[in-house]
Amino acid sequence: MYNKVILIGNLTKDPELRYTPQGTPVCTLRLASTTKYKSGDSMKDDTLFINVIVWGKQGETVAQHLAKGRSILVEGRLQERRWESDGQQKSKFEVVSNVVRFLGRKDEGGQHESSGDSDFAPPEETTDLEPF
Amino acid sequence: MYNKVIQIGNLTKDPDLRYTPQGTPVANFRIAVTTKHKSGDGYKDETLFIDVVVFGKQAENCSQYLAKGKKALVEGRLQERKWESDGQQRSKMEIVAESVRFMGGGKGNGSTGAQHSEETVPEESTELEPF
Repeated sequence: MYNKVILIGNLTKDPELRYTPQGTPVCTLRLASTTKYKSGDSMKDDTLFINVIVWGKQGETVAQHLAKGRSILVEGRLQERRWESDGQQKSKFEVVSNVVRFLGRKDEGGQHESSGDSDFAPPEETTDLEPF
Repeated sequence: MYNKVIQIGNLTKDPDLRYTPQGTPVANFRIAVTTKHKSGDGYKDETLFIDVVVFGKQAENCSQYLAKGKKALVEGRLQERKWESDGQQRSKMEIVAESVRFMGGGKGNGSTGAQHSEETVPEESTELEPF
């Protein structure tokens, strides 16, 4: 079968990087994606909040370069995680991502241009992660 | 921004067709999507169960041609619906489908094939007309 999700959104908080007991990096991102859709005769905004999980080396790269407010494209599969808390069944949908692409900064503008070339200036449009 | 989901799965029950107060058809069904994933050194099967909502003419077609066990390709956007029940906040993730494509195979195939004497359903896939 086939399970694919592609989302573009902004990070609502900084990435959280953790490691499994085996030492594998896992990065969790919180994404907000606002899209317009038709509702009757008018257009409506809908914002989806969802967690994105990035494993391995890419997880570390993502944690290093991303921060709250940044805009990204993620591609991966949808997964439902279930657990029990206080005798209640809980579940959460999340995206297990194999592609994360950095899009332009939300706060980009004069600040970066005026800061000169002391720092490596990220390209304006997209920054590709290296595959691993 | 952009919000796109594409899933191929089998229906876990028959579609449920209802109408909004304005008369718009709405079909609800649930699909099970099993995919293989790398887990450590081996591969593991993982099954996602997710609800699908379809509006309009396509909803009627889904309720007519899809049934438990049938396979469908669903394309749409991911949405979280929230409501309150008994003072508790509840939410549900679902796919609002723009397009549903009927795919051959699945357990429900034999019985429907026999029922539709006037029009044989193509084996591979039947596309819904856009509306």
